[in-house]
Parts: sequence; structure tokens; C-alpha cells
Amino acid sequence: MSLLELKHIYKIYGELHALDDVSLKVEKGEWVSIMGPSGSGKSTMMNIIGCMDKPSKGEVLLDGVDIAKESAKNLTAIRRDKIGLIFQQFHLVNYLTAVENVMLAQYYHSLPDEKEALEALDRVGLADRANHLPSQLSGGEQQRVCVARALINYPEIILADEPTGNLDEANEEIVVDLFHKLHDEGTTLIVVTHDPEVAEVAQRTLVLRNGRLHKEIVNQNFTGKIHFEDMESFRKEEKGNA
Amino acid sequence: MKKSQMYMRMIFASLMRRRSRMLVALLSIAIGATILSGLVTVYYDVPRQMGAQFRNYGANLILTGTDGGFSLEDTEKALKVFAKDELVGAAPFRYENIRIHEHPVVAAGTDMEGAKATSPFWRVEGDWCSTDGQIMVGKNVAESFRLKAGEMLTLSFTPENAPKDTPDETIDLEITGILDTGGSEEDYVYLSLHDLETLTGAGDLDVCEVSVSAQSDQLKVYADQIGVTVPAISAHLVKRVTASETTVLSKLQALVLLVTVVVLALTMICVATTMTAVVTERRKEIGLRKAIGASDKSIIGEFLGESMMLGGIGGILGAALGFVFAQQVSVHVFGSSIRFQWLLVPVTILVSIVVTGLSSLLPIRSATEVDPALVLKGE
Amino acid sequence: MFIRMLRGTLLRQWKKMLMIAFTIALGASLASAMLSVMLDVGDKVNQELKTYGANITVVPKASSVLTDLYDVEDENGTGAYLREDELGKIKTIFWAFNIVDYSPFVSTQVTLPDGSEAKITGSWFNHHMELPTGETLDAGIGSMRSWWEITDGTWLDEQNAAQENSAMIGTTLAERLGVKAGDTLRLEGSASALDLHIVGVYDAGGDEDEQLFAPLNTVQTLADLDGKIDSIEVSALTTPDNELAERAAKDPSSLTVAQYEIWYCTAYASSICYQIQEVITDSVAAPVRQVADSEGAILEKTQLLMILITILSLIGAALGICNLVTASVMERSGEIGLMKAIGAQNGSVSGLVLTEIFITAIFGGVIGFLAGFGFAQIIGHTVFGSAVTLKPMVIPITAVLVVLVTLAGSIPAIRMLLRLRPAEVLHGGH
Repeated sequence: MSLLELKHIYKIYGELHALDDVSLKVEKGEWVSIMGPSGSGKSTMMNIIGCMDKPSKGEVLLDGVDIAKESAKNLTAIRRDKIGLIFQQFHLVNYLTAVENVMLAQYYHSLPDEKEALEALDRVGLADRANHLPSQLSGGEQQRVCVARALINYPEIILADEPTGNLDEANEEIVVDLFHKLHDEGTTLIVVTHDPEVAEVAQRTLVLRNGRLHKEIVNQNFTGKIHFEDMESFRKEEKGNA
Repeated sequence: MKKSQMYMRMIFASLMRRRSRMLVALLSIAIGATILSGLVTVYYDVPRQMGAQFRNYGANLILTGTDGGFSLEDTEKALKVFAKDELVGAAPFRYENIRIHEHPVVAAGTDMEGAKATSPFWRVEGDWCSTDGQIMVGKNVAESFRLKAGEMLTLSFTPENAPKDTPDETIDLEITGILDTGGSEEDYVYLSLHDLETLTGAGDLDVCEVSVSAQSDQLKVYADQIGVTVPAISAHLVKRVTASETTVLSKLQALVLLVTVVVLALTMICVATTMTAVVTERRKEIGLRKAIGASDKSIIGEFLGESMMLGGIGGILGAALGFVFAQQVSVHVFGSSIRFQWLLVPVTILVSIVVTGLSSLLPIRSATEVDPALVLKGE
Repeated sequence: MFIRMLRGTLLRQWKKMLMIAFTIALGASLASAMLSVMLDVGDKVNQELKTYGANITVVPKASSVLTDLYDVEDENGTGAYLREDELGKIKTIFWAFNIVDYSPFVSTQVTLPDGSEAKITGSWFNHHMELPTGETLDAGIGSMRSWWEITDGTWLDEQNAAQENSAMIGTTLAERLGVKAGDTLRLEGSASALDLHIVGVYDAGGDEDEQLFAPLNTVQTLADLDGKIDSIEVSALTTPDNELAERAAKDPSSLTVAQYEIWYCTAYASSICYQIQEVITDSVAAPVRQVADSEGAILEKTQLLMILITILSLIGAALGICNLVTASVMERSGEIGLMKAIGAQNGSVSGLVLTEIFITAIFGGVIGFLAGFGFAQIIGHTVFGSAVTLKPMVIPITAVLVVLVTLAGSIPAIRMLLRLRPAEVLHGGH
């Protein structure tokens, strides 16, 4: 069973079909990029996967549960337990220190644990910046705090929305390296971006256009670990579809 | 770490690190609380303070003999009935007909300090008598005999039933002042009880004017008490003064009450709008918290905790500042200090917590209803 | 374009603007309500203080020196009287409008049926006057002895022809004679004897309890004093005395022409007295210090109290508005950053924001002013039972306050926003 499966998803705003019959599967441990120009339905898809929005039609199976049918309250709980979010605008609470921002996610999930939060910051290379406020951190550092916050509760999926959109090249590299590391550790990554450089390092890139799945590029040169066994058969299946 | 510890840590972080914004909110809450505690203190103190002003009207209780005259000892006994801080003054009066330059004039023997207290509206051109051997003459008397302050005046008295040719008793007194009251007092002369006794011999008091800082209900109680403890004296309320004082004072208190209510209602709304603004400003943060998995309940809990904390601090500040304000009002307007209403401190703090909490609850609730995705996307 | 942008904000951000307008309206209503009440409280309390009775007494010139002094034995007075036909003139003096009530008095000794003597005073009870100005005035002791408690019967009604030969009697005297309301009492005056119908028994809590009160002409008939009166008690709204008034009271001729003008045209007790003396032949009018002075003190305290409360509430309102305006300007950091990024000058950005806020402020201020005046009326009617008059100066004061406070609230915030670099703001530098 796939970790995440979208089956014939529609999202319709009046006349506008933001998503028009999109289906997709993401396996556990996979690294997938979603690309597309503005208005292609990226954000809508990201919101649906991130349990912040529901499709107008279709099924969204996360760990076998159809989240399209859940109440808003349950969605919050699912999001808390299974998904780690990373935003383009970082969205850190500006009056909490780096470590406190990480602890905030723990707080809503279960119990805050400062030691664990510091370890998470150490993993993203920010151990020495733990007690700085967001305003005292560079953009790259802020995004790394976001990554630490996203992974602190061991989510099933880390969902990143334009994670490098506000970063310079050097910081972009740091964040991408971090994704590599996370992927190697077995984290499922879904990265929404319109930066081809960021997209193409993933195992698979889905390109959206006008709310439809336009094409799918499989990264033949993927350097990272491949976590699931039936990759070969999967690839064959994909080829057959194409 | 316990959840509650993190909760407190977040609230303090918000209060301390968002200092300028929080100060703005705190300021408005503190002003609200100041107005609450200040005006309520003033409201409670108005009757007492204004009551003291109304003592300008002079005596509000008159003691007379139940049958004829009464003695100074009786008066002293009767005055013990009053609470010490309520008794503004008491002036015993003894009236005798004496003569000046062979013309009959009414002389009043009194205690000058007492008269000063019970009749603050007396205007004396010159000085009040300070010792025996001095006299104040009414303006009309002074005019008709062409008397001036500083001159000596001879009073003469013919004892009743005196044999025909005995010479009149006389006494020489120094005129210290001319009395101007606009009333019948201008037709009398005023001297000490002792001097009057020297001139006319021992005698009973006719009346004792008492000025008490109390409302007519309390005065009636006092009057009855005097009737019981000192049967020789009967006490009467000076209706003209007491009835009018009750009317005017109750209007004044109603005025301050209404003003307090209006001002309070408006300030509370001001506090509420400020809190609404403060919370609305943080919609993005609320959206973020929701996105990383906070339930509506916990967000409401945190923000409410924060604003109630703010309300508490504002309330404490306001209670203190309000007292300072009331004290200033009291000192500047009435020239006396105010009674501290201890009960008002917890009430102010409580009201300020409740108002701040309630006024932030609505915007918080509406903020939690917003889709986090929209808030986070929108610039 | 400016207008277009302005309209854009006002129409699209109407919710936020409405909130600002609402707060400003609250502040303005507080200011106008408190100012109206404060400016009118003097007059209102002054009216209330009239319950203390007359603050000016008018007596004949000759008697002012002599009545009590020489005539302790002669109970019928000295022969110096004021003229009844001049009474109407009191309402023609410069400060006629401030004379709220007055009543003439004439007293004489009468012999009661049991042979004892008592004092009977003739006066107005509820005398109705048509003034030359077209106004009407109901004057008399009905209102000037408001503290009298009627223990039996009712107040004497002068307007009722059936009560022509009527009188009211003090409690002490009534008790002594065993008289009740409804009884008839034969009184023998120095000139004639009359049967008077007792309509009421009063408790005055003073000397008057041993007297009788009857209509003016009844007593004049008893003592053959037609058209003559002993004294007039006047209840006037006065301004508390100051140094000038005191000097003038002693000797008006000691003042310079300018000072005299000021004094004459201010409602000091002494200037009203002076004006009464001008119209009533051979009279001496003097303030009753007990009432006049106390009134002054109480008025002054009440006004001071209200001023301080007003100041407190104005400060509160000002800070509240300041706060909100600041907060709402700060909220627009993104928009202002954008405007700067596309090349707007600081001046034009500030101009736009200020104009918006001022349009909102004017809107809120006008509504607030009207609401505040409404509040003042509620206070006036609830407490004093009469409307609070609108003093014209409230309008400019409120307007200036609103403008100052709005400026004070928005300028620091705008300055702060202008200092921000556009890039920071646009990249959500938070």
C-alpha cells in the first residue's frame, strides 16, 4: 500500500478547475517534487496533501485513511501527527527563539522536550543559534529552523512549499543538502517548487499544468538511497503508463 | 518538560519579546482600569467629601433646653454622642439684652472657636476674638454706633429686680472685628461666655449650634440619642440645611455615578477595540499554529491566557494609578486625602481581566475559524 | 489617481476603517458628553442649590440699621417699608434672567383667640406673574421654602380664589392651639380682625414653626399696610465672588470704569444686589452669606471635580484612539512597502494614509459628537431632570481634540513605516 494515494482529485472554484482529475501515488521513503507554473494547481494540491483543504471530489488516502472525508478537527489531528510543513515564508513565531519554535510543534503534538528540540536543531546545523529570535537569523537559518520544526515529531511526510523560494543560492544548497540527509534517513519528502534545480534532485518530478498532471520525469541519475523494494516494477509500470 | 511550563514560557515570551505592541495594549487596559478604580473611588468618596463642603452652610443640628435653659456641662455630655471625625464644630450661645450708649442691644456669649467652625460663612472685618476682653460687633450695630475695629466699647447691663438706683454693671472690651453675615447676626454683638458672665452673672445657655458631617438619617439618630442620654437637652435638625443637603448631595452622587458609568462603558469598548486590533494583527500566527497542528481549543487557551495576563497586569497598574488619581482629585478639589477602598483592588483587577479576556475571545475565535492555508499564503 | 487610491482603501478596507471610525466616534462622544456636562454642571448645580432658599435679602434702607436694634419692644416695625408695586421691577434688571425666584414679606403681630400673641407673615405662595418680556414666572415661598414639611393639609394655593382668606400655621403654634388643617382661626390685627381658614400645618425646623403664613394682602389688611412690604427674599443664580466682587461690594465707586463694567456685567451676588437697589426705592440688598458663600464653595468644588473627571476621561479616550490608529497604520506595512517599492515618495505615501485616516476621523468624530451630546442629555435628564444646553465651544474643542489625537496616533506609526526598507517589508520580514 502506498503511503499517500490521490485518486481522481478535483478542486473546483466556481468555473475554475484548480485540480482536474489528478491521481498520484507516493511510496514511503520516496522523494517527490511537484512542479508547475503559477496557477497550475500546485498550491491547491499542496494544501490538500497537507490536510489544510479538502478536494471537491475524489479520494485522498493517507496511510489508508481517506482524509477527504474527515472533519476539520480530525484533519488538524492528522496534520499534527503525520505531516511536517515547511513554508516559503518560513512562518516562524517571531517572538519565540529557534528552539522554542521547534518546541511549539512538540507542544501541540505531545510534550515539549527541550533536549530533543536542541538535537533537531543540531541535525540542521543550528545548535549554536538555538536561543536566537527569528529576526536575528538569516533566511537560510530560518528555513533550517522550519525544517527542524517539521521533522521534530517524526512525521510520515514532510511537505515543503517552495522551501528555497526566499533563499539565496548558498542557502538553497544547504537546504537541498538537508533534504538529501533526511531522505537518506528514510523520511518521505514532497517538495512543491517551480525551481527546476531544486526539483530535479528528487527521485521523481510531477509536472502540473492547468490543474492536470502534465508529465512525470523519473530521475535516472538519482544518487540517494532507494527505499522501497519494488522500485523496478514501479518504474516498469510507469513506463507502461507513459 | 510539562505542557504547562511551555504554556507559561510562550505567554511570557509573547509579553516580553513583543514589548512595544504589548505595551500599547497594556497602556489601554491600564487606562481603562485606572478610570474604573479612580472614578469608583471618587464616587464612593463624594458624599463624605462633598458633605464636608456642605458644612459651609453652618449648623445642621440645634440643641435647646427641654425646659428653658441648659448648662455647658449638659452640652459637653451631649456632644459625646457624635463620632469624633464627624463633629465639625459646636458653638454654645447665651443671649442677653445689654446696652450700648444706653441703647438696648442683644449680646451673645459664645465659644469663638466653635462659632468659627459652625458658621464658616461669617465674614469678619478685622479679627476674630481670640481671648477674653474682646468683642465682635455686627455690621448694623457698628454702623449705627459708628464703631470701628480697635476701639474700646463699654457694655452696660441692668440686672433684673435690681434696686432702682444701683449703678449698672459695666465691662470694657476691645472691638476686634465687624461681623458681616447678611443675616440677623449683624444686629448682635459677640463676646466670650466668660465676659458675658462677668457682666450679667451666671446663667443658662439658650442654644447650641452643632455642625455634624452626616446625612439627615444619621442626624436623626444622633438627635434621638441625645434626647435619651441628656434629658435636659432636646436636639432638632435644621431642616433648611439638612433637607437641601440631602437633595443636592444625592443629585451630585447620581451625576458622578452616571458619568462613571458612561465613561466606563466607553473605555471598556475602547479596551475591547484595542484587544480586537491586537488579536487581528496576529491572524497569521494563529494560522501558522493551526498549520503545525494546534487545535482551536489550545490556540484560544493560549491567546486568552495571554490577554488575561495582560488584563491582570493592567488591572494592578490601573488600581494603583486610579488611587493616585482619586487622591489627586481629593487633594486638589477637597483639600483632604481619600479613604482607600481595599475591596476595589481585587474588583478592578478582576473586571479588567474579564473585559480583556472577553474582548479578545471574539476575534480569537473568528481567527481560528479561518483556513490556515489562506492566512499563510496571503501576504 | 490619488482620489482613486483613496476611494479604493476606504471602500475595500471599510471594515478596518469602520473600526477606526468607531473608536474615534467613541472618543469623540466621550469628549463631547463630558465637556457638555462639565460646562453645564455649574448652572445645573446652581439650580439645585436654590433649595437652600434666598441668597439675597432686600430691606428698606432705614430699617436695615434699626429693626432689631431699637424696636425690640415695638413689634410692628419702624415704619420703613418697601413698595409692593415695585416688585415687578426686580425682573427688569440686567441680570433678570438669573433671578429664579423671589418673594415679598410683611409681618405683623396678631392676637390669637386664646389671648396670646403670634407673628403672622404675609407672602406669596405660588404667585403667578406675567412679565413685560412675555415670560411668566411662578414665584413665592412654595418653592423658596422647599424644606418645609407639610404635616397636615396642603400648601396654600394663591391661584385658588376660594382660598383667599386662608393661612398656614407652624407645627409648634398649631400644637399649642390645638389647631388642625380645615379649622378656622380668628386673628385680631392692629387694624382689623379676620377669620382665616387653616389649609396646612408646616414643620420648618426653626423659628417659623411658631408663626402663621398668609397671602400678602391678607396680612396687609390685618395691619393696614396696603401696598407696603417689609422685605424681599431673592433667589438668584450667582457667580462665586472673587476679589473684584468683594471690593465692589464695599464701594462700587472705587472701581475704574472698565472694572465697573466687568463687575456690573457679571452675575456676582454683589452686582445683582447693586442692580436691585437701583430699581427698588430706598432699599438695601445684601447677600445672605450663609447661602451665597456656601453656594460658591460647592459650585467651585463640583466644577473642579467634573473638570478633573473630564480630563481623565479625555486622556483615556485620547490614548485609546492613539493606540488603535497606530496599530492600524502599522498593520499596513506591506502595502506601504509596496508603494515605496514602486517608487512612491515618502510625502505622497504619508499624504495618502493621513487623508484616509482623516476622512475616517471626521466621519467618526461627527457621529461621536452627536452620540456624546445624546449621552449628555441622558445624564441631564436622569440627574437634574432638565436638558443639558449645548455650549458652542464644545464643538471646536472636540474637533481639535479629534484632529490632534488622530495626528498623534498616526504620525509616529507612519514615520516608523517610512523608515523600513521596501524589500524587508515585502519579504515578510517578521
